[in-house]
Amino acid sequence: MEWYGMSQYVNDGMPEIDQEDRRQFLKVVGLTGAVAAGSEFTLSDLRGEVEGEAAGELAAMGEAIREDLAGELSAGLLGNELAALEGQIERLPELRAMGVPAEDSTEYQQLAEPGLAIHEHLIEVGFFESAEEHLPEFTPEHIGATAREFINTGVLAGALSELGYSEAELTSTVVNVVNNKERLAMWVPTTEIPAGVEGFDPGNIAPLQQRAAAGVLLWTDYLDTYLWQNEVLLTETILDNNYGDLKQMYAGLHLLASAAEDLAGAQELSDAQLTAALSAGAAMMIVGQEDLTNDVMRITDEMRAPSALR
Amino acid sequence: MASIHERDEAVKAAQNIEMVEVEDGYTLTNLPDESITQQFDIDQIPERDVTQEDLTASAKEDPTNWLMYGGGYQQQRYTSADVITPDNVDGLELEYLVQSGVSSSMEGVPIVVSGDPPVMYQTNGPNHMKAINARTGETLWSYTYANPQGLLLCCDANNRGAAVHGDKVYMTTLDSGIVALDRYTGEEEWYASTGDHEIGYSATWAPIVYDGQVITGSAGGEYGVSGFVAALDPESGDEMWKTNTTPAEEWAGDSQEHGAGTVWMTPTLDPDSGKIHAPVGNPGPDFDGTVRPGPNRFTIGTLTLDANDGSINWHYGESPHDVWDYDSSATKIRVNDMEMDGETRDVVLSPGKTAWEYTMDAENGQLLERSEETTQHINMWKMVPHTDEDRRVAFVPGAHGGNDWQPPSYSQETGLMYMNQNNAPHEIFWEEAQYEAGQTYWGGGLNDWPDVDAPEGWNGNLSAIVAVDPSTGERVWRDWISQETTSNYLWGGSITTSTGLMFTGTQNGNIVAYDGENGDRLWQFQLGAPICSSLSSWYDPGEGKQYVAVQVGGSGWLHGGRRGSTVAVFGLSE
Repeated sequence: MEWYGMSQYVNDGMPEIDQEDRRQFLKVVGLTGAVAAGSEFTLSDLRGEVEGEAAGELAAMGEAIREDLAGELSAGLLGNELAALEGQIERLPELRAMGVPAEDSTEYQQLAEPGLAIHEHLIEVGFFESAEEHLPEFTPEHIGATAREFINTGVLAGALSELGYSEAELTSTVVNVVNNKERLAMWVPTTEIPAGVEGFDPGNIAPLQQRAAAGVLLWTDYLDTYLWQNEVLLTETILDNNYGDLKQMYAGLHLLASAAEDLAGAQELSDAQLTAALSAGAAMMIVGQEDLTNDVMRITDEMRAPSALR
Repeated sequence: MASIHERDEAVKAAQNIEMVEVEDGYTLTNLPDESITQQFDIDQIPERDVTQEDLTASAKEDPTNWLMYGGGYQQQRYTSADVITPDNVDGLELEYLVQSGVSSSMEGVPIVVSGDPPVMYQTNGPNHMKAINARTGETLWSYTYANPQGLLLCCDANNRGAAVHGDKVYMTTLDSGIVALDRYTGEEEWYASTGDHEIGYSATWAPIVYDGQVITGSAGGEYGVSGFVAALDPESGDEMWKTNTTPAEEWAGDSQEHGAGTVWMTPTLDPDSGKIHAPVGNPGPDFDGTVRPGPNRFTIGTLTLDANDGSINWHYGESPHDVWDYDSSATKIRVNDMEMDGETRDVVLSPGKTAWEYTMDAENGQLLERSEETTQHINMWKMVPHTDEDRRVAFVPGAHGGNDWQPPSYSQETGLMYMNQNNAPHEIFWEEAQYEAGQTYWGGGLNDWPDVDAPEGWNGNLSAIVAVDPSTGERVWRDWISQETTSNYLWGGSITTSTGLMFTGTQNGNIVAYDGENGDRLWQFQLGAPICSSLSSWYDPGEGKQYVAVQVGGSGWLHGGRRGSTVAVFGLSE
């Protein structure tokens, strides 16, 4: 049984990966024979070990999205906002060092602003509808294929490394996402809503990838107020976890945004890499925000800071 | 008593109404074509209009009145009446019983307007109201509102009480409206709709009247509506402002259109600052959060508005992105000048289904303290399981809390807050759910005790009456209501007096007077049916008596218990 509960974190706020996590992850990406099950590894260690995409399914998905959006995306807007987003991601350690925001703080709102602009533009051009139409739901097979592509494509992880993500952080993020396949499977694409539901207008629910991004941005926008209002409950552990969960969420948002920016301009990503960036990005955003909910928002008596009044 | 009902066309109409279970809750049938007023000796009603000054002083400064649901605007449910004390409460006697003649939901608070005689305005389901001589129990007029066909009711045909101002008395209606009556005659003055009942909007709480506004809320959070707080003109019913609780910028896609966040209990108001503290319920759908990512801001917690225009000041959320139906619908309590950690503070007190008491800074919503747990916490905030049986898990507090809607009270004398809370385990399971107008929109299902496996560590008590010091969060005392003596849940709220007493009712039919300091039961009286209502108390100088009133009869959305139709009034002379 999978339970919600506070994530297990190491000191830097990123998910702690144990032997069983590594074993499960290697199984999903098809490396049970190639790497000793449960042994320490990084994504770089696995690069070249996992099999690349043979059937071309990821590439076909990416190609379809590329065709849908040809000429629709604004390279200028996405370039500017992606640069601003990267600047904000690089500020994450500063936000952690800040601790509890002041009453009138807008620090976390600023973190969300470039993402909000990108999100709004992608809605306007039908990006999320296209992504949801052409990407499958989070089946174990699709998660495995996406993870293999992500591992083999140094480009996707490389961009995050340049933003300050360490090899260990990227590894723990990807392992955490892949091993949360049951939670990912609960996020049902709008297009997969079963037939026979009378009167329902699917237009009221955003496409899956949009929900993933919107959740990240709405949570971020809430944090100034939330953390300030709840200071009496907060511990350093909760603030560490807030930082780690944000790093996961923003790794995912950056993958989404950089894929859109590439699609609008340079088109350096292959079709399969585009698919991997969008699927991995959505998955990181989903798992990250669920971790944030459990680690930061649902503070039990065991988690809270001791009362100073009793 | 039976004879008066034979002559009461309003009672007859209400008796004919049937509540029937439908797929997604309940609806009413055999409804009257038009509203009915039956007058009796209305000349007994003193024609003195209720003023704003009367309302502001109600219960706390002026113990001869209990003019609104919470006693006063701050909803402390506290009376400064001091005739009944811990030393003489054993002499409290039953003065009279009023048989409403309508055996339906009994969750209301009788309000009382001082005078010679004082007049009680009493409501119960389904939208039946009476004016009663509060000295004798004699019915002076009787009224039944003609609800339309097609109501969608999640939980019962509830109505929790009336509000008064000037020459009028106001009642919310199950079709999401408000009706204003001439309180001297019972004749209808105006009706205003605040939401479309055919898509699930409803109204069950007592409104309040303040500074030329009738302030009301919204219900239907299990039917995919979008919540609001609204103010109407007391003379005409015209809308003055309406504030939506699910603004689009806080939601993904268009999910705010079914985001719920309803305000289905009476808002609290602080006349000094002009702030409304509204209790807000669950986001919609209840159990599937993936279609509404993010915190679902302004749901489940305290939403503070400016009473002048309804603008939002602050919100404190008790369960962001909730998927357990952990509403924060219990009425909020405003306390000004509370001593806390060496400072004098204005605070808002909130008991939620999460089974903590939250003490917040009234100016900005900052949490000043969260109490020790008020009931047990077992498997709380754990995974919502999938639909297969193996993944269900029992948890406490269940979907009815902790503190569901039952209003808490606060004592100026003891400085303690008193809460009636539940401690029963529930199971929730998740299934895909899509909104359809007028259909429940849970996004999952719920199993109620005893149809769940008792979780490890559960103490077997279904409910508890709890006292907390809101200045420290210390749980000062707790009276567990055991499974053996109570077959149903603890609904309804409490009141406090200036002599340190706390009165409440239990599901096994007892009205109980507690020593507010230590939880000792000083007096109780068996009324023969569950008490699901919240009490009121007033001092009648003409008689030299303090009275305590309580409605009797089962109600509620889970195990309501045996129906009743009685208002019991107790009194003690000086």
